[in-house]
Parts: sequence; C-alpha cells; structure tokens
Amino acid sequence: MRIRGRKQVTAAAGAVAVMAALAACSSSSSNSTTTPAGGASTPASGGSTSSSAAVSGTLNGAGSTFQLTFEQQAIQNFKSVQSGMTVNYNGVGSGTGRTDLASGVVNFAGSDSPIPSTETANFKGKKVLYFPILVGPITLSYNLSGVSNLKLTPSVIAQIFSGKITNWDNSAITSINPGVKLPSEPITLAVRSDSSGTTQNFSLFLQTAAPSDWSLGSSSTIKWPSGARAGNGNGGVAQIIKSTPGAIGYVDYTDAKAAGLSYASVKNKDGGYVAPSTAGASASAAGVTVAPDLTFHAVWGSGAQAYPITYQTWVLVYAQQPNANDASMLKAYIGYLLGAGQQLLPQLSYAALPSNIDSTAKAQLSQITS
Amino acid sequence: MAVTSHAQAEPPKVDLREPPSWRRTKNQIVTALMVFAFLLAIIPLGFVIVTVIAKGASVINWSFLTSEIPVNTSPANFGGMGPAIVGTLEITALATAIAVPLGVLGAIYINEYGGKGILARIVRFMSDVMSGVPSIIMGLFIFTLWTLHFQYSGLGGALALACLMLPIVIRSSEEMLKLVPDSLRQGSSALGATKARVTTTVVLPAAAGGIVSGALLAVARAAGETAPLLFTIGTVTAVNKNVFSGANTALPLQIFSNASSPFTGAQARGWGAALTLIVIAFVFMIAARLVTARFARYSH
Amino acid sequence: MSSLTRADSATPAESAHPLAQRRPLGDRAFAILALTAGLLVLVILVLIAISTSQQASSWFSAEDLSIFSRDWDPATNSFGALPFIYGTAVTAVIAVSISVPISLGIALLLNEVVPQRWARPIVYVVDLLAVVPSVVWGLWGILVFAPWIQHIYSSIASGVNGIWVLGFLFGGQNISGASFFTTGIILAFMVTPIITSLAREVVATTPSIDKQGAYALGATRWEMIRGVVWPHSQGGIVGAVLLGLGRAMGETIAAALVIGSSPTITSHLFSPGYNLPAVIANQFGESTGVWRSALMGTGVLLFVFTIIVNVIARGVVERSARRARGA
Repeated sequence: MRIRGRKQVTAAAGAVAVMAALAACSSSSSNSTTTPAGGASTPASGGSTSSSAAVSGTLNGAGSTFQLTFEQQAIQNFKSVQSGMTVNYNGVGSGTGRTDLASGVVNFAGSDSPIPSTETANFKGKKVLYFPILVGPITLSYNLSGVSNLKLTPSVIAQIFSGKITNWDNSAITSINPGVKLPSEPITLAVRSDSSGTTQNFSLFLQTAAPSDWSLGSSSTIKWPSGARAGNGNGGVAQIIKSTPGAIGYVDYTDAKAAGLSYASVKNKDGGYVAPSTAGASASAAGVTVAPDLTFHAVWGSGAQAYPITYQTWVLVYAQQPNANDASMLKAYIGYLLGAGQQLLPQLSYAALPSNIDSTAKAQLSQITS
Repeated sequence: MAVTSHAQAEPPKVDLREPPSWRRTKNQIVTALMVFAFLLAIIPLGFVIVTVIAKGASVINWSFLTSEIPVNTSPANFGGMGPAIVGTLEITALATAIAVPLGVLGAIYINEYGGKGILARIVRFMSDVMSGVPSIIMGLFIFTLWTLHFQYSGLGGALALACLMLPIVIRSSEEMLKLVPDSLRQGSSALGATKARVTTTVVLPAAAGGIVSGALLAVARAAGETAPLLFTIGTVTAVNKNVFSGANTALPLQIFSNASSPFTGAQARGWGAALTLIVIAFVFMIAARLVTARFARYSH
Repeated sequence: MSSLTRADSATPAESAHPLAQRRPLGDRAFAILALTAGLLVLVILVLIAISTSQQASSWFSAEDLSIFSRDWDPATNSFGALPFIYGTAVTAVIAVSISVPISLGIALLLNEVVPQRWARPIVYVVDLLAVVPSVVWGLWGILVFAPWIQHIYSSIASGVNGIWVLGFLFGGQNISGASFFTTGIILAFMVTPIITSLAREVVATTPSIDKQGAYALGATRWEMIRGVVWPHSQGGIVGAVLLGLGRAMGETIAAALVIGSSPTITSHLFSPGYNLPAVIANQFGESTGVWRSALMGTGVLLFVFTIIVNVIARGVVERSARRARGA
C-alpha cells in the first residue's frame, strides 16, 4: 500500500506556509502612523494652511458615511497638496467612528452628531475638538409619474412617515398642492435598514418642526410603521424609490441627485416652500445658533431661503496629539478640508459652510497641539 | 429495514432483475427527485452568475485588476480593485494558515486522543456551538480585543476570519477522521507504530480527501465574508503589501460598500469586484479538488 | 523492535504499558500538540463568550425580563430581543427544511446514480454555490430575487387568506420580497454546498459489501439507499446538517440585506422580519451605550440558542444510533 497521502499533506502544509511567509515578509509600504516628520510642522498662525511645509505619514479616519463622498474626493485631491501623506477614511458609521477615536484606532473621526452623554466617559477626560466641514440637505424623494413639483409641510411629512396618511390623494396633501394631479395610490415608505446619521437628523427635524404630529422620537434607527420598505444606505433607499411607483423616502441630496430622483419642496420656518439645494442648506445653517465648541444643529434654520431639512457633520480630533507629526498632519488635512477643500463641495452636491462657521473652525486649528 | 424478496411468478417468464412495477416506479420517482434537487440548486446559481457577469463583466480588464480604488463618483471605466484583490488574497491566506492547522490538530485531539473523555466532549460541543456564532460577532470580538489596542490591520481581519473558519474545519475534519476504519489504526499499531505515527501516516492520509474538502469550504467562506472585516481592517485605496500592520481592504468589503452607493460607476466597480472574487475562489477550489482527486486515498 | 502488544491506538487511554514506558519524544510531543490545539479552541470560545457577555452586561443588568420583550426601539431606549430570536429560529428552520432534501438528493445522486465520469464536473458545479460570496447572495437577493418573488408571494397570499394553517403562514397584508421566507431561501442556497459536500463524503464510505448485498437480494436502488446507506450515514449526515444549521443561523450580510429589517413577530412568513445577526450588522455602526450593549447581548443570546439546538440535535443522533444498533 503506497502512502501517497503523507506527501500530499506535507506539500499542502508547505504551500500554506510559503503563502503565509510571502504575505508576512513582503516589503512594508509607508503605512505606519508614526514615521518621523519629513519637514517642519505648519506654523500655528491664525489657522491658515501653509502648503509650503511638507508633511508625511499616514492618517486614518473613520465614521460618518454622510461625509464619505467628500472625504474620498478631498483625500484624492489632497495628494497634490501633500504628496508625502496618505489619508484613509472608513465609512463605518458615526458611532463606531467615535469609538475608534476614543481608543486611538484612528486619528480623526467623522460624526454627524456631537458626542452623546453616554459616550463622554470613553474619552477619558481628554478634550475633543469639533471641526464642522460641510452641511447638506436631506430630500424627500418620491416616485409619482407626472408629478414633478410636489410640496410638503413638516406636519404632512410627519403624518406620512408615522403611517397616519396612507394615500397620495389624502386631503392633507392635495390641499397644499393645488393643480397637481395626485393618484389615489397607497403611499409606500422607503426607509433605511441600517442605522444612520441621516435618519437621526431627519427624525430630529420632524421632532423639532412637527412635534404634535411626530411621536416616534429621534434616533439613528426609528421604528417605522409596518409596510415600510427598508434599503441599505442612501443608495438602497434611492433604489427602492426608483423601482416602486408611489414610494416616498428620505435620501441625502448628493445621492438623490446621483440617482436621478424627483424631490419635494418643503415649507420652512419662515413659511416659504423651498426646494432642496446647496444654497438652501447653507442658508439654514446660517440661521441657527452655533455653540462655542462649534456644535450646532442645522435643521429648521430661519431664513427665507433656508431649506429646513439640512444637516451637518464634523471631524473630531483630540486637542492633544501624541506627537508633533500627527499634529502637523491633522492640521494640514483638516486645514485643507476647511480651506481649498470647500471648493470641491458644490460639484459633489454638498453645501459649503457659512463663512462665519468656517473662519471660527479655521481658528480652532491652532488648538491641535502635541 | 428488511428488504423484501422479489415477487413470485411463473418460473419461465420472470426476469429476476425486474422488481414489481410499483417498486420500480418508486425507484424512478426517487431518481427523478434527486435530479430535480440538483436542478433546484443549480438554477438559482445560474441566475446569480448571470447577474454578476451581466453587471460586472463590462468593467473587467487588466487595468481594473491592478489600478487603485478611485472615488465613488468616478465613472465606471476609471480605476479598479487592485488593492482589494491583494488584500483578500493575503488576509485569506493568513487566516487559512492560522485556522487549518489548528483545526485539524483540534479534530485529531477530539477523535484520536480525547475519545470519550470529558475534555474532548466539551471541545466537540463548543466547536458545534461556535459554528453557529454570527460572523459579525467574530468581527466584533476581534474588534474589541485586538483592533481597539492594535489599530486596523490585515492581521486583525485574518484573526476574525480564522475564528470563523476554525469550527468548520474542526467539525468537518472530525467527521472525516471518524470515518477512517479502526482496522487501519489497529493494524498500524500492531506493526509497532506510535500513536503519532499512526495518526500522521495512516489516519490523516486516509481522511485527507475529506479534510481538504472541508478546509476548502471554510476557505471559500472566509474569502467571501464581509462582516468580520467591517470593523477590523479599515480601508485603503492603494495596495498594502504588509498584512500585519496598517489598514487594508478586501473584495467583499468593497462589493458591499460600492453596491450600496448610488453612483453608477461605483456600482459597476462593485459588481466587477464580485465577479473577480467568484473567479478567484472558484479557481482555487478547482485546483484544490484536483489535488485531492490525485492524492487522496479514498477518492471517489 | 517493540513486541506486539495489545496496544489499541483507537482508545483514548494511554497506550499499553510496555509502549508507554518507552514512549518516544516525538509521540509525546505530538500528543501534547494535539491537546494544546484542543485547549486553544476551548480558550478562544470561552474568550468570545466572556468578552461578548462583558460587553452585554449593562443590558443584561436590567432587573426585569425586558431583554425578552417584543419591543426593540432605540428611540425610546427599549431593547427587547424577542423578535430577533424568533426571526433567527424561523429563517434557520426554513433554510434547513429547504436545503436538507436538496443536499441529500444531490449527495445520493452523485454517489449512487451518476456514473463516475460525470461526478467530478457535477461536484465542481455544486462547489460554485459555495464560492459565491455571501454579500453577492444578499445583493442578488434584494435586487433581483426579492422583486420577482414578491409577485408570487402576493398571488399565494391572496389565494390562501382565510384557509386555516396556510393563511396563518402564508397570508397577511404586509407582503414583501424582503421577508422571512426569502431569507430562508437565500440561506438555503448558501447552506446546501456544505451539507452536500459532507453528506457526500459520509455516504461514500458505506461499505460496498453491504450495498452489493442489498442489490443481490433484489432491492431497487431506492430500497438499497433506505436500507443500507441511510442507517450507516445517519450520524454523519446529522453532523453535516448541524454544521449547515450553524451557518444558517450565523449568516450575517445576506440576512441583513434581504430580511426586511422590521423587528416584528408575526406568523406570516412573507412579511419583513429581523434576525440576530442582521440587526447587529445594521445597527452596530451607529449604536452607543446601552444600545451597543444590547446588540452584543443579542449575540450572547444566539450562543445560548445554538447550545440548545445542538443539545437537541445531539440527543436525536444518540437516540437514533441506539435504535439502529439495537435493531
């Protein structure tokens, strides 16, 4: 009896060992986060970014998916500003982004909400700086053939998404849309299956603007009425709306435009109907009060041109960095986001920060120290 | 279950090979059902493959397989999935190197050394339990214990995948070892071989085909898993050849995030990545099955 | 060299005395290696159990039984996990019910019916089921399969609404392509290659002599399978089914995409639902505080659930094996 099996087992084990060795012993690319600084750190003057000082190393960031599209574009364009730096941004969700920052897994976190009180203990008393980087509208996108200019009020939206209004030809909707032919179809809700900052801020808007009609609270996950169709990501919700006649859902402006959806004009705090736009978002953000630490909520801002369902997102960093190179890299990158990076926002359908918020944020850069 | 003898009939006319018609019909029905079962499994598979090819084949070219990952808004023919391919290969290889030897040794312990002892029973039972743990829990376990202390790395992802593969390898290897007849072991011992020698030179080769087959299933599963990698390896747009340090990316992650994006370019790249992953996994599986067919003692 | 003793290397006990005294270093080292591997598995499992339980502790420390309530609503801070346990059970049962007959059919087809030459290509085709990544199954499920099957669900539901058991299971108002039943189907596709592969290996070891004996007595192929292959393979097949069940319960991404994300308990299988892995995958990224702890806790609950299922399955195997031996 020839025992060929042993040779096979040995050969297989050898192959696996070689594969593992190859994987391990290959050259390491410049991916360590603490390579020594390639140049002087940027001077701590009034927050302006100095592109003349070269910085090198890797920055890792994680968090909100709302800012993911912007981060990706900024990272790519930033390479021509600081070619020695590599920035990675992982869109895992604001909650995990904050957890990653608290444990030092990442250098910066992207978050659509300020750190909740239940999480402050994770940061062990170290100061966290908030850098707002953009605002953006949330659209009410819908699929109704022949209807292109739907108008909605916060109260009606709240009733639709609570399941109190179930048909398109309900008098509450027809009365605010005179002259529009609304079908007598049932309304299909398109919502998020995954938790998200978009849901959180959309529900916050409903809670703020229509408190008597909205009882489902504000959270990154809402218990929607039965019959709601859930999709993964803004793209998933957009796909449901596109393929379901009579559907309505809440989709990020950037993603609604990319998917080619029709969206409604919403009545704002001043009483006018405003269509979602980057200008409307900036107007809403300009019409809210900003705390000294740069936290704020951009929903339901005052102003005639304000689009009321607008939200915001921040980059969070520790004020105290472990070494000088990390501090320089963060100042360079965040400075870019607040400076030249803001030019990238319109083509991506985001709204730029109102100028007062932007300059305060730039001034805050000097608080990043080592 | 007793087997009935064939029906009595006039001696000259009966055909001893032909059972009475009802039993024959039952037999034919069952055979038809078996073929039907095969079709039921294959038809949806066909649909999936056709869908992936239809949506993904148009982006595949050499540039796609080697280029860096572009921003989501880029059009479909821009950039590629090179870093994800490298990431998947190196992370899965590392996970296999960790899980397969450990799992086979564990199965050897349970079956050859542990026997009816309490420890072996506990290990066997717990590996059953572990095979039901969701892949996301494995990912979160490694996230809590490893990533939060050692940052993003391919190693973290490999550990999570190894946790996923381990119970599968143990269970299937144990089943295969159990099937090896005791007579082989006894014969080998009777010739004076020590237990270790018996196991490595007689039992393992005899069970090799089944063990490799089970390990293959574990590797195929690991290569296609998203959840264990979600929170443990981060993301990159350029190739990271060092699997032990620094953030990394993998094909399943890219497929998942791209397909949820509303940008058509990103979606096309996501499906291209899906097609690539299926091809890679399938080629690997065929290669390993060929190896098994050539070398296994009890090949079919 | 060593005298022929009654050393029985199939028993777990130490080898017979003469051999034990002269036990070579390599043998002992190998035994220790195997033992270490076994212990390492145990350590990893215990670590997972402890670590997840620790994360879940703030949820478990709720004094009442609210963790088993039907209401899961982060907006109101209620975290009852019953809908997810229900969903996991339902989808896993559906998946295994669909998959086991198919897998056994294919395994028997390959071993008993199909000539040797065709066996290998068919095996490769069945392997293709295993190499499709779970995320692709999920995406195909939600983008292609669910919209198509929703029409079929609606037709069935309108047909059986009112009929007693059928209406209970397949009726209802909230018919959706993304539902318990669709998840069960998709999971079945993912589980089939596992059960098939292992069942094939097990069935292939049926002693040829018994099979030939049955044929010699005039049995048809089906009767031979029933009388010879099945009793021999029972234990191994149950083991394969258990492994498949484990996969069905633990599959995360595909379930998260096609289950409908609705934490409701309903008998209507064509309605959206939720299960344990799916809720963790969907909600972990944004979760915080008690919510995050509750999500880890649902994972611990799944541990317990898996243990119960395994104990039952093992009991079934023992009993049928005892019956087969006694028969």
